[in-house]
Amino acid sequence: MTRIFKKHQALISGIISFAVLLLIWQFAVDFGYIKAFFVSSPSRVAVEFWRQLQSGEVRDNMAVSLYEFAVGLSLAVTVGGMLGVMAGWSRTIEYVLEPFIWFKYSSPTIAFYPLFIAWLGLGEPTIIAIAFIFALTPIYANTLSGIKNVDQDLVRAAISFGARPHDLFLKVTLPGSVPILIAGLRLAVGRALTGVIAAELFGATAGLGYSIAFYGQKLKTNEMMVSLVLVVILGVIFTQLLSLLESATDAWRPNVDR
Amino acid sequence: MSQIEIRDVAIEYKKPKSEESFVAIQGVSLSIEKGSFVTIVGSSGCGKSTLLLALAGLIECSRGSIRVEGKDVTGPGKDRAMVFQDASLLPWRSVHGNVRFALELQRWKRDDIDERAARFVRMVGLGNFADYHPHQLSGGMRQRVNIARALAVDPQVLLMDEPFGALDAQTREVMGDELLRIWERDKKTAVFVTHSIDEAIFLGDRVVVMGRNPGHIRDVVEIDLPRPRTAAMLDSPSFIEYRRKLRDYISADMQALHMVEDIA
Ligand SMILES: Nc1ncnc2c1ncn2[C@@H]1O[C@H](COP(=O)(O)OP(=O)(O)O)[C@@H](O)[C@H]1O
Ligand SMILES: [Mg+2]
Repeated sequence: MTRIFKKHQALISGIISFAVLLLIWQFAVDFGYIKAFFVSSPSRVAVEFWRQLQSGEVRDNMAVSLYEFAVGLSLAVTVGGMLGVMAGWSRTIEYVLEPFIWFKYSSPTIAFYPLFIAWLGLGEPTIIAIAFIFALTPIYANTLSGIKNVDQDLVRAAISFGARPHDLFLKVTLPGSVPILIAGLRLAVGRALTGVIAAELFGATAGLGYSIAFYGQKLKTNEMMVSLVLVVILGVIFTQLLSLLESATDAWRPNVDR
Repeated sequence: MSQIEIRDVAIEYKKPKSEESFVAIQGVSLSIEKGSFVTIVGSSGCGKSTLLLALAGLIECSRGSIRVEGKDVTGPGKDRAMVFQDASLLPWRSVHGNVRFALELQRWKRDDIDERAARFVRMVGLGNFADYHPHQLSGGMRQRVNIARALAVDPQVLLMDEPFGALDAQTREVMGDELLRIWERDKKTAVFVTHSIDEAIFLGDRVVVMGRNPGHIRDVVEIDLPRPRTAAMLDSPSFIEYRRKLRDYISADMQALHMVEDIA
């Protein structure tokens, strides 16, 4: 028993603290310390969740948001990855792209939202574009740094055995960058999700963010909470999956503490 | 003509952020016979690695020429393989995968690669560790992989830059023995850089002594010890004589360096 606890200490402690939070939340509302109107309560959310599940609302909202998320993220991975590889390959390209990256790092991207609406209209294309823009930077930055920080000793050894440029890229640079690429992907996943939800809050006809905004405006806290909780759960699941992938691909790194 | 002909080679490095260059070695000439084991010894900074990298075709000569089997060295080639000091194994590949790596790069037939990699892994005594990754191995084992990788591509010349430099004294001796045992089989030409005088004598048919400012060859000493070499020879009168001679060369070099530093 204690062994099991030690092995999964982080997980078990996390679940316990989360359960305690739920209990406090429930009791605080039940005993009238906080009004249900402000925070709903776990039992109310559960009942409302069941209703939205039956009515198909959960499925529809999830489908729309996940679709936008997947398209936005895929675009970011493709474009960011390609730009990162190109910038890693040529100094000139890196310098040409640098101002845009700085610009993106130092300005709140969401401020450009109205501009996107003007270009792409209200709805799906704009939401995908926002998710794409949000997720682009970590993909680009990590791809670039993975390529630039390739171990020169390995490159030299490979060249001594006759490696050609594409051998170097496919057999040394790329596999050597996998950990940092996955780290970039983990950041991008979180940002793409944020992008989708934020954009849906402002202008959409379906999706989890839309549902939050829709019920929020009507001050229907219980109904709103369902989608809010779903967003949190999605975020946790994605991040955990990526962490798993990260540690699976990281195994060869000697300094990884396992 | 010898298998390797090094003629009046000079190598200069560009100094960073300036037009000047730094002469690492100058006026180096050396002939190496096919199948011989040549060791290069000298204090650090005298250009041993530089000379070896030029032999490998990884850096260019500023002057002079290097020929292997009559052909000018213009880049890396299948006739030469290099064993680096350390950290040149792909950390994400297994022992077997690292040996495979060299075979893949030289476009060996797919069907042969696995078999051949496995054979060379066994040859260096790592048969039971084929699936281990470099970080799970000791320094000595990692160098065995490096040697297996270089031998697997079947080069004419084996170039080794202080391959045992990072190992402790005991492991070092074992590895030296092992290297000779492997080398005796098909006697590929070996050029072995070390800063250990004993190692240079123990392994070599000839010891090339280098000095510095700029790097040059001071002398080439023929080692007249029978093969196979054994640990007992380390205490033989002729070994002790070789050791004394080489040590004189190198300490003279060190003194010259201290004088330069005193003046500066
Ligand atoms: N890439 C380089 N750029 C500039 N100088 C170098 C470089 N590599 C080596 N040197 C210099 O050349 C000299 C010889 O170095 P090296 O061949 O590594 O010597 P050794 O292997 O005998 O220790 C040293 O003074 C070193 O500082
Ligand atoms: Mg060196």
